[in-house]
Amino acid sequence: MSSTLYVERPSAVHRLNPVTKLVALLCVIVVVFAIPQWWASGAVLLLVIVPAAVISGCGGALARIGGQILLPLLVVLVLVQGLTFPGGQTVLWRWGPLALTTEGLMFAATIGARIVVLVLSSVLLVLTTHPGDLMSALTEAGMSPRFAYIISSTLQLIPSFRARADSILLAQQARGLAVPRNPVRRLGVLMPLLAPLVLGMFTDVEERSTAMEARGFGSTAKRTTLTPVRDSRAQKVARWVMPAVALLAVVLQVGWGLL
Amino acid sequence: MTSSATATPNKSRNLALVVGGTVIVLATYLYLVISQPTELQTSSTAPAGLIAMAGYLVGAVLIAAGSIHRLSTTTIAMIPVAIALNIVVGQLVAVIGLPVYLDSMGTVLVAALAGPAAGVVTGILTNVIWGLTLSPIVLPFAVVQVVIGMMAGYAARGGLFRKPWLPPIAGALTGVVAAMISAPISAFIFGGATGGGTGALVGMFQAMGQSLLGATTMQGLLSDPLDKLISFTVVYLVLSALPARFKQRFPFVRQYQVFGKAPAAKA
Repeated sequence: MSSTLYVERPSAVHRLNPVTKLVALLCVIVVVFAIPQWWASGAVLLLVIVPAAVISGCGGALARIGGQILLPLLVVLVLVQGLTFPGGQTVLWRWGPLALTTEGLMFAATIGARIVVLVLSSVLLVLTTHPGDLMSALTEAGMSPRFAYIISSTLQLIPSFRARADSILLAQQARGLAVPRNPVRRLGVLMPLLAPLVLGMFTDVEERSTAMEARGFGSTAKRTTLTPVRDSRAQKVARWVMPAVALLAVVLQVGWGLL
Repeated sequence: MTSSATATPNKSRNLALVVGGTVIVLATYLYLVISQPTELQTSSTAPAGLIAMAGYLVGAVLIAAGSIHRLSTTTIAMIPVAIALNIVVGQLVAVIGLPVYLDSMGTVLVAALAGPAAGVVTGILTNVIWGLTLSPIVLPFAVVQVVIGMMAGYAARGGLFRKPWLPPIAGALTGVVAAMISAPISAFIFGGATGGGTGALVGMFQAMGQSLLGATTMQGLLSDPLDKLISFTVVYLVLSALPARFKQRFPFVRQYQVFGKAPAAKA
């Protein structure tokens, strides 16, 4: 398994400034969570996410990954809330303590539509944005470069971490460690695996930090960027308009509730 | 926020960020717990879901922003290792299909070696990276990892890693808090359906007459304390198996005598 989901495509969505995409994602989430009707999420899905996915050329990957994540969640959601929703009144079918209610199904539809938007929009961001680009754009926008270092470094570290864990496990098995089939027993393997892993990985840390200090990691001077992030006036405007729309949705909804 | 910080000049600003973030997280939780019954009767969970998401997100980001500048370069270099540990072990356990998560051992480890601020940054970035790479579902739960990192760090500072019977207690307590903080997220954002086993438990508690938030809280209280108890204990066992020379290299460990008095006179 690769360590990121990013798919390289020559599309307009890929070329957008990562900060613009992140702002759009947050605004979409605010809108669907502000309006408590399933059709609001449905409209966002059809009018924003599906066109963006088609333009980006990642529609297939989005459907596959989104389906893998969403299908189990939605099945559980409909079963649990459809059958046991606490506010259920209109009973459609009853079996012992379980009752299929209209309210429960409506609740599951509202929450489910939101989760669909939440998951698909964030997967789309990840599919169309390289983590490195996202980090450099956010650092340019004012995030501490320390966050960018940690995130980028982790993404590179995970594969080598896995390789190291595998070789430790093989070494322990060579000296007689049995890996049981029973999953609960398998937890016992954790100790002989973790101790050498932690010791080895953390011993490297000291050398790495010395190297980082020698290259001015702790310096607080303003840095220049090696590859400037693409940006445009339209995107700058969009980054102000989208939050305004999201805010409007919240204000309207709260106002509606008060009336 | 520019990174113009060698701890001292911005110390009060960092403290204000951490305190402000903590207050927002607690206020969000209290608001949701107090207002929740009326929300459900009208079945409009709109504000509840939005408030859970926004309050927890803003709180977690503020705490992390206030914590990051306090860390030394060695600590920063250590955090990616801990995050990798969280993700790799967490995934391993998820694949095996155990009823626990074990996705916060790296957070506890870093918090015990380098303090609460390091734990907080490890926690939030674990879920950000996990969300960016494998599953966006963990993103709203970032605040829970922040709380775990913070509590583990203060537990280490308070000497709860000195005796073998103390880490399980600290872990169970952390688990109770984690369960309570995460309950509104699973209730109002995911409708109680965060996975097959947990979803079945939520349904069972609802069928027994619990509200949605009550059901997710009880489900959390069943699995989180056990999960954190195991995590804290395993971290303690791993650390006590490591040579003292390794542990005493960390300034936080020396300053607060996290593992008791250093055996060698060199302190």
